[in-house]
Amino acid sequence: MWNRIKSWIETRIGLNEIVRSQLTEYRVPANINIFYAFGFVALILFVVQALSGFFLLIYYIPHSDHAFRSVQDIMTVVPYGWFFRQIHVVGSNLMVAVVFLHMLSVFFMHSYKKPREMTWLAGGFLLLITLGFCLSGYLLAWSQLSYWATTIVTTIPTAFPYIGGFIAKTMRGSESVSGVTLNRFFALHVSLLPMLLAAIAGLHLFLIRRIGISAPPFGADGVKRPWTEYSHDSHPGGIPFYPDFVRREAFMVVIFFAIMFFVITFMPTLFLPLDANTPADPLKTPAHIKPEWYFLAPYQMLKLVPNRFLGISFQMIIVTVFLLWPFFDTKEEDNILKRPYLRVVFLIAVLFWIILSIWGKYS
Amino acid sequence: MKAESLSAFSRGMRHLVFFLGLLIPVVASSPGKAETYREMFEKEFLTKPWAGEQAESNVCLECHDSEVMKKPELRKIPEEWKKSWHYEHNVSCQDCHGGDPKDAAMAMSPQRGFAGSPKYNQVPDFCGKCHAGILKQYIESGHGKALRASGSGPNCVTCHGSHAIQKADIDIINEQRCTQCHSYERAKEMKQALFLTEKKIKGIEDELAILKVGGVFTEQEDATLFSTAAEFRTLFHSVDVSLIKKKTDEFSEKLGKIEAKARKTSRELVFRKNFSAFFFLLFACMSAVLFLLSKTPKE
Repeated sequence: MWNRIKSWIETRIGLNEIVRSQLTEYRVPANINIFYAFGFVALILFVVQALSGFFLLIYYIPHSDHAFRSVQDIMTVVPYGWFFRQIHVVGSNLMVAVVFLHMLSVFFMHSYKKPREMTWLAGGFLLLITLGFCLSGYLLAWSQLSYWATTIVTTIPTAFPYIGGFIAKTMRGSESVSGVTLNRFFALHVSLLPMLLAAIAGLHLFLIRRIGISAPPFGADGVKRPWTEYSHDSHPGGIPFYPDFVRREAFMVVIFFAIMFFVITFMPTLFLPLDANTPADPLKTPAHIKPEWYFLAPYQMLKLVPNRFLGISFQMIIVTVFLLWPFFDTKEEDNILKRPYLRVVFLIAVLFWIILSIWGKYS
Repeated sequence: MKAESLSAFSRGMRHLVFFLGLLIPVVASSPGKAETYREMFEKEFLTKPWAGEQAESNVCLECHDSEVMKKPELRKIPEEWKKSWHYEHNVSCQDCHGGDPKDAAMAMSPQRGFAGSPKYNQVPDFCGKCHAGILKQYIESGHGKALRASGSGPNCVTCHGSHAIQKADIDIINEQRCTQCHSYERAKEMKQALFLTEKKIKGIEDELAILKVGGVFTEQEDATLFSTAAEFRTLFHSVDVSLIKKKTDEFSEKLGKIEAKARKTSRELVFRKNFSAFFFLLFACMSAVLFLLSKTPKE
């Protein structure tokens, strides 16, 4: 029966040829390491988010009068609703972490260098879209935590003179965070952002396949090419994508699933503290409002820079430089271990981010 | 190599300096030079209620807290109130005393409903504006009758205090307080009658608090417990031991239902933990298998 199905498909689309060219005979660098699997883990986590989000969407009511109650019903009344919500909540945080790690490892491996500038740029936009997902999804629970964290974040654009108020009002749809904001964020979260993410992730994957996976710069020196014209980086001496590299990717995926279920089992309130369990009250400002961990560093930086506009502009410059980094860094050397200045800058930047995040958390 | 590295960086830095240069005129024209950024942030980001409702000034508090108030007992009212159960539940000056806390000139005007401080024998009616059920029980009780008859029996303030009022618990019945007017025997009997039910209420409160910390929304249980406990404590104001003993079973049953629901939710949390632990172990084992597979020597 199985053979008949296979044969039926083979006759129509030539499945064997696809499997051979795209999986078994597709080569990746022999010295490829486990960090190259972060991108695939991020993709799987996005699929998990989409699926768990679909189940939440069945019961969620995007209205300020019902949103909190519907989320609580998902947690208590809907059979296994808590399970899907926990997967969605923990999965979103893991997704941000994985995308961060992916970009850091790509930076460290210098995989953004010519001819992969567009791949890096697409990856950078994917990171911003992921953060957009987190921001918009955070409000949907309509709890004290989500309401006031969103209030802080949507207040940040007011730092821009002249247009700041307009940007903040456009985001909120009203003077303050309200039911209109909830509707806007809901529409973004379930419609526009998924389409954008799918499109840019498609472009990202296309570029990776079209150009070929970059080789890690460490160990044996690879063939250096001037890249004056397009050619696929085929790694003839490499290992097969399937099963060798797929096995490593699967290993990383199950590790992240294990982390996800560890958090759900032993730290179920890590991302859902008491304020996340209290209905939003626009008239009652909680004593300490803190953004989520991935926004703590920019939050702390905003507090430290002695001018609001300068603070936010400085951050935008950092983001822009980060996104356009392949165009700034045109040096041919692709081994960061042979670039002491860049290595120091890289380490200082990571350390700075960690310190600011911890400072932001406890300040 | 170092020279090349430096030249790439210097190019990058030039771009950065260019961007920063563009910012200078706008920064110079932007507000906030006089105030430190931290102050502005605290004011505009953290303390301003963005929902549109501005923090309202309260002239009652401002006046009572100022030099204008000569009598120390009147001056300490705001401080006492801020520590009270009323404060925690947004019960403010005008809710009891009337008046207009937004208008200094008319704050104490009878036209704005200012009632001032009640006389000793008016206190039960004063508090009973909100605590109507308790007032009814109190009026029919020995305490209420004594106040009406002699004008000197215990009123609400005798046991609960006034501005620093705290959440009432069973220890409010104590020898020191009760023996101010009569022997402790009868009060002791009353305390014993209340003890088990109060203990049960406290136990359920603790259980619900644990559930809340565990991420469970207990609004319905909280509301049921609150109304049941309030109803039970209302009964106490009758100072009728036989009535309390008679009603204890009824309240026990009501509390038992809330307790059963809380226990069921606790069991559900344990199930959730076991359920997700299964997936954790499953994926942990899968990762171990995949790790071993990747280490298996190839043919």
